[in-house]
Amino acid sequence: MFREISLAALATASLTLAPAAAAGTPSPPNAEAYIIWPPDGAVIAGGKLWVRMGLRNMGVCPKGVELPNVGHHHLLIDTELSTDGQIPSDRNHLHFGAGETEARIELPPGKHTLQMLLGDHNHIPHDPPVHSRKITITVP
Amino acid sequence: MDKRMYQLVAAAAVLLFADPALAGPTKAPRDAYLYIGWPNDGQVLPAGKPFRVWFGLRNMGVAPKDVKFPNTGHHHLLIDTELPPAEEGIPSDRNHLHFGSGETETMVELPPGRHTLQLLMGDDKHIPHDPPVSSRKITITIR
Repeated sequence: MFREISLAALATASLTLAPAAAAGTPSPPNAEAYIIWPPDGAVIAGGKLWVRMGLRNMGVCPKGVELPNVGHHHLLIDTELSTDGQIPSDRNHLHFGAGETEARIELPPGKHTLQMLLGDHNHIPHDPPVHSRKITITVP
Repeated sequence: MDKRMYQLVAAAAVLLFADPALAGPTKAPRDAYLYIGWPNDGQVLPAGKPFRVWFGLRNMGVAPKDVKFPNTGHHHLLIDTELPPAEEGIPSDRNHLHFGSGETETMVELPPGRHTLQLLMGDDKHIPHDPPVSSRKITITIR
């Protein structure tokens, strides 16, 4: 009986949790984030570059401001995309909470991946998530 | 002092007092850099086809209109017109396109001929910053 109750409780808990996890700030269905520069496969001598972050059918807004159809940019470096919960803030997840649309970065020699992910006022990806294709660049 | 001297003094006084009003109340970072990422200056584009304009901004951020956040503003695209007076609100008409939702690019279609494009940031109330943040004016040809 106890076991049944705890199973039922678990089922209820997961039922109530599931919609909460999916209910991010809505994004327009045609929204598109993309890396304007650098192009996929670029070779960046010296490893210092400006990344230009492009966004279509949606607007940029600093963090903490709740408005429809806006978000702020995050640049994912050498990491996998996860659209669950808050976007981490570390050296692999750069936040642009002041509405920046370009990022000055410096990378060590080697192959690196770049990907953009838009976050809402609470740094949570939208529903559906708005992210770019992942590109690979090389620093010789 | 003769009459001419008075006129000079009066003109100087007007300049002195008018000076602070020559910019809006919102400060912009000194190194803010606004530029048109695309098209390029001198570019020739086909008629009857909308083209994309990229808004480039460095050392400053984008915020929708009415949002007050330090070092931000929203884009305005000036087409075939001069920069408006810096102390006034940017007009909203077919020569001054506002991007008050925080857009960072747009599609434009222009009739055949030579056209100028220039970007200008406006603060939460559509007033240029102090100092004003504007791009170089570029000329394109549609044919």
